[in-house]
Amino acid sequence: MKAQIKYIVAICLVLLAQTGFAQEKSITIWWAQWDPAAGLQQLSQDFTKETGIAVKVRQIPWPSYQDQVFLNFGNKQTDFDIVVGDSQWIGRGATKGLYLELTDWLEETVDMKSIHPRAARYLCEYPAGSGRFYAAPCETDAIGFVYRRDWFEDAKEKAAFKKKYGRVLTTPDTWEELRDLAEFFQRPTQKRYGVALLTGRGYDSIVMGFQPFLWSWGGAWGEPQTFKVQGVLNNAGAVAGLEFMRTLVALGPPGAASSDYFHSLDVFSNGSTAMMVNYFPFYPGIVAAMGEQVGFFKVPGHDGRRVISLGGQGFSISTKIPAAQQALAKQFIAWFQQIKVQEKWITYPGAFTANTQLLATEAFRQASPYNATFAESLDYLQDFWNVPVYNELLAVAVRYLGQALDGEKSAQEALDALAEEHELILMQAGLLK
Amino acid sequence: MTPLAEGRRRDWMKYGFVGPALFVLIAMNIFPLIYSMVLSFTNVELTGGEYRFIGTLNYKIVFRMAKYAEALRTTALFVLLAVASELVLGFALALALRPRFKAKAFVLTLFLVPMMLPQAVMGLYWKLVLNGDYGVFNQVLGFFYLGQPQWLTDPDLKFFSILLIDVWMWTPFMLLIALASLNAIPAYIYEAAAIDRASRWTVFRRITLPMCAPLLGLAVLLRATDALKQFDLVMAVTGPNDGATQTLSALLYQVVFRDGKVGLGTSYSYIVLVVVIALASVFIRYLGALQKKEGRAAV
Repeated sequence: MKAQIKYIVAICLVLLAQTGFAQEKSITIWWAQWDPAAGLQQLSQDFTKETGIAVKVRQIPWPSYQDQVFLNFGNKQTDFDIVVGDSQWIGRGATKGLYLELTDWLEETVDMKSIHPRAARYLCEYPAGSGRFYAAPCETDAIGFVYRRDWFEDAKEKAAFKKKYGRVLTTPDTWEELRDLAEFFQRPTQKRYGVALLTGRGYDSIVMGFQPFLWSWGGAWGEPQTFKVQGVLNNAGAVAGLEFMRTLVALGPPGAASSDYFHSLDVFSNGSTAMMVNYFPFYPGIVAAMGEQVGFFKVPGHDGRRVISLGGQGFSISTKIPAAQQALAKQFIAWFQQIKVQEKWITYPGAFTANTQLLATEAFRQASPYNATFAESLDYLQDFWNVPVYNELLAVAVRYLGQALDGEKSAQEALDALAEEHELILMQAGLLK
Repeated sequence: MTPLAEGRRRDWMKYGFVGPALFVLIAMNIFPLIYSMVLSFTNVELTGGEYRFIGTLNYKIVFRMAKYAEALRTTALFVLLAVASELVLGFALALALRPRFKAKAFVLTLFLVPMMLPQAVMGLYWKLVLNGDYGVFNQVLGFFYLGQPQWLTDPDLKFFSILLIDVWMWTPFMLLIALASLNAIPAYIYEAAAIDRASRWTVFRRITLPMCAPLLGLAVLLRATDALKQFDLVMAVTGPNDGATQTLSALLYQVVFRDGKVGLGTSYSYIVLVVVIALASVFIRYLGALQKKEGRAAV
């Protein structure tokens, strides 16, 4: 009997050792499903080697990423320790007590002067200019154009373009030049199309696609200090910008009026479209598939004003996890911000740094065909509202901009209705007095 | 045992049997209903945190913002068109499949397949079929030089694309009910009509249709309630924030789960509930009147 008890005790001890006692430390990160997230998972193996802390990056498909994150925040404890949250989420995360404030810790850990000021402002800080940080930079991002270099360099096309427009066929610097190019390549009978813009009705693609027109033509989402929208979002410049966007949509492939990030990638990858705008981290796939056939250029300007939609996400730590997990999360983020780690980070497909020192290096600019364009785009970045009610503002914008592109409303009618509803939402949120 | 004691024992037994069911009903239906009513007067959010009483503000927002009325209109149009198409097609198919023929069981089973598949899966499947660039539908149209409509992105077509999928899925349901009601009509009534030399149209109008009406009415009620909740297809095909296809459920998902506004979402639900109850009670009364009339006619 005694011998049996000994065996049972021994088995119990072994089982305990395998579970509780030997439980390894680990961090769970949630991010959207794309190349940079896969890169982060690979990169984090170095962290595990150095510290023994396992890192699991859970990739969630883009269309349901936001829903899943905020549903999870509704629990007493989140399933993730770190969320790589979209730039617009930061106001909601900060004011609703979901993101841990990192101000003091971040300033001790990271040299904020080494971070691109626009990345620090839009990805990490809330409210803008307050000096309070709720995220650390992870993926810095911008929209940019990819184009068919083989078409642009074709001698016959060059001659025909020169004859028609009286100038050399080359990448555009202004939206008007881009319109001419789109018009030139728009040949539906040959199944060739001019330009694919971002106009999808899902999460935020139509808004990101519209913003360069809004800002370059002299409009804005509102006044950042007073939150006044009327007369800013629907001023003459904003209306002209939206109307210009409509003319470009007509010079696109079938379905151009409702083309999200993935549809745009499809229409460019199938070889039918001359130019396409999208976020840079989506481009490694295009380069892998089309190689030398493609080139890149930054978003054009209008009347000397060039503004580009910001993308990208920062690392935020959940407030709804134990303090010990928060400490592990901080350890990982601090490790990630080191220059040697950033140097490796930018070698992964679609992974972009906010570190100004690295962005300026020739090695970075030459590392991929789109890196130089990306680095040049950063100084022109601006973002949508990042206030707590950003999603309501976004949803309304998607509807009205969509109606304008579909021809259900004129540009003026759509922006008037949008401005009115945005003011109502901002008023209800207590931001607009 | 005295009669009084026996009566008391019976009372306790009654409560004992009914009690658990009553408890479940209160816990799962009545309490959430009342609790959500309370929430509709607050600014409670999905992610938790403190919330406060804000009076009727949520209701005012619902009445002021156009999207709520638009979603109601879209849903009403969807219910009307979907149920009407399914009823007409289902009844026509039932009439065609009514006579006995070889392989009737096999054909009927084939017709029922779409109804047995999950809506979300069907939504994703049809999204591929209707894709403007590489969908099978457009490939077939292209073969006959019939153009390349953008079924899922054209604002004039995407609503009808979802309608088409719903009709494809749920016409078999109407077919099934219509076939059951047709089979329930006694043969002697048709024989009597034949003796009276009634035309085929008269037989259809005076016998077939009125005798099928009560059961078809029930099928319409069931389908209408189901179509009113349309969510899966919209989510799978166009997403919850597309103005052209945003049904009530899709808008509620957007408000509650994306914007996180639980209070606002519940207030909208209550307004919708009142509208639905009003419409349903009118329809149920009509159905009751129809059944009574039918009962009298049979007597």
